[in-house]
Amino acid sequence: MSEPRRTSPLVVLLHTITFRQARQFVPAIIPVVAAIGLRGGTTTIALLVVAVTLVSLGTALLSWWRFGYTDGPTSVVVSRGLLSRSVRTVPNDRIRGVEVEAPPLHRAFGLVRVRVDAAAGVADKDEELVVDGVTRAEGDRLRAAVLTHRAEALPEAAAEPAEEQFARFDNRWLLYAPLVGSYLAVPLAAVGALFRLLQELPENVRPDVEGVEDVASWRVAAVVLVGALVLLLAGSIIGAAVVNWGFRLVRRGGSLIATRGLLTRRHTELEIDRIRGCTVAEGAGMRLVGAARVSALVTGLGDAARRGQLLPMGPRAEAWALNRRLVADPGPLAPHPPAARRRRVTRATLAGLVVTAAGIATSALAGLWEVLAVGIALTLLGVPLGLARYAALGHATGATTFTVRSGWAVREQAVLQRRAVVGWQVQQTFFQRRAGLATVLACVGAGRGGYAAVDMAADEVPAFTLAASEPWAATLSRA
Amino acid sequence: MIGPVREPAWSLPRTAIGLWGTEGLISSAVLGFGVGAFLLFVPSDVDGPVPVLRWLLPILLVLYAVVAIGVRPWFKHRVYRWEITADAAYTRTGWLSQTWTLVPISRIQTVDVTRGVLQQLFGLSTVAVLTASSQGTVRIWHLENDIAQRVATDLAHRAEQVRDQAT
Repeated sequence: MSEPRRTSPLVVLLHTITFRQARQFVPAIIPVVAAIGLRGGTTTIALLVVAVTLVSLGTALLSWWRFGYTDGPTSVVVSRGLLSRSVRTVPNDRIRGVEVEAPPLHRAFGLVRVRVDAAAGVADKDEELVVDGVTRAEGDRLRAAVLTHRAEALPEAAAEPAEEQFARFDNRWLLYAPLVGSYLAVPLAAVGALFRLLQELPENVRPDVEGVEDVASWRVAAVVLVGALVLLLAGSIIGAAVVNWGFRLVRRGGSLIATRGLLTRRHTELEIDRIRGCTVAEGAGMRLVGAARVSALVTGLGDAARRGQLLPMGPRAEAWALNRRLVADPGPLAPHPPAARRRRVTRATLAGLVVTAAGIATSALAGLWEVLAVGIALTLLGVPLGLARYAALGHATGATTFTVRSGWAVREQAVLQRRAVVGWQVQQTFFQRRAGLATVLACVGAGRGGYAAVDMAADEVPAFTLAASEPWAATLSRA
Repeated sequence: MIGPVREPAWSLPRTAIGLWGTEGLISSAVLGFGVGAFLLFVPSDVDGPVPVLRWLLPILLVLYAVVAIGVRPWFKHRVYRWEITADAAYTRTGWLSQTWTLVPISRIQTVDVTRGVLQQLFGLSTVAVLTASSQGTVRIWHLENDIAQRVATDLAHRAEQVRDQAT
């Protein structure tokens, strides 16, 4: 094995500025500062700043000096550690993907950070290998080297492959962002934090809101409401833009490469051979404007929700075109039996009916009719909700793929290859048994781990499982 | 009982009934302590739902105990079934709600044998067959120790031989 490589020395400067290593000493420093106090005024503070910077420089230097990596023909080895030495070896055939990212500060120094995704389904951040602070060229070399070493282990090693564009993000699609729940959550969280901060402020600094006259208050309320709405919309669009700016999905040889991000450019590589299927998700708001989101189901991919994204948001036609390029279309969905509709509506109205019953009791005993009104309203609202939930249900099997769809708040359709299925789980509750229904869960070693055909006709189950997976599923059929 | 799919061929040993009965006994005892504490420590002359609860809770407790000790173990023994075929492990579990789980031997990743405290008293073990999917796990509950061990060894051995990519 060759001499271990080092990261760029520039990273020492970078980590000094960001206190990358020194951060972990903060809990130790606070009590020290508290004990000494800040009596000396400006001089002490200046001294403290200098000392902290020096400590940061020292630790950054040490960890740079102790860090080494080697990309050998069979494995990647990373050694690090200030006091205790740790050497991690990852065999090339266990590497699932390589991600090259360039946060803003890294870009200023011309550096990148390389993440090597190793073990299957890791929740633990420590499981992935991170080589922080190599030059752009070295990052690309490392990525190519790791992936080609792995390709050599496979029989078909492709020659320098041409790029093929799969999807390109149109920045107009950012306007969909306010309708996507997760992007809307970002500005909401910011507003929440602001309110908490306001409450923390001492009484005399807080703006005096109580003094506003009643006459003006509805106007103020309207202005605040409109302002908040505009902020919310703008915030979600900006949030989406920061993450998804310039999104591009290309195919190079046996990999799909997604590039995105405004401040931090992310570069995610997925092996096509590991893709077992795709999901097309449409939230309730997205359905109104015909927007959808596409994710790949990749076996053994850590942080799958983010890394598996193939199209963060876009028109439905675009999403389905992309889906069909990756997995064969299994044909139109078959609806589920009428008993499934009854069951969806019953379940959706159940809460309302309980409240209504309580309402009847309260209005008879205490003369409170409000509970009854709420109960009736909930029950009435449950009917269209149940019908919509039923309309989302469906399944279909094709020659090599199958698909299941369900969900109302987020309607998700998964299209899976037959070989993706590593097991079947058929569930039947007491009520499903009486209605002749069953829920069939296809267990998949990717994505969420299982995709269900909810409430399908019980007697169709054996045929569906046999058509949607390999011959072993015949075990489920009656002899 | 006609389910949506075939019934697995083999039933569990009858000792499992004893184990489920013991489980029912323990949970009834725990609930009994709770109800006893309620009757002892909550004063009976409080308004509201307390007077009703004073006779409702013991009745519910007795009902629960009858079902958990006298009915459910036999019911479960009829539902819980398992089978190892030429190319798959197959189980049915549950009680009122039932679950059939099928995992092909070619996709097995690991096979575990576990023995809980109660299971040890009855000489029973659970065989868990794990796959790459977090939801695709077959658990064969309450097999006799030596059978469980044989099943696990056999499954692991066959998985080794037919394994494709296993994901």
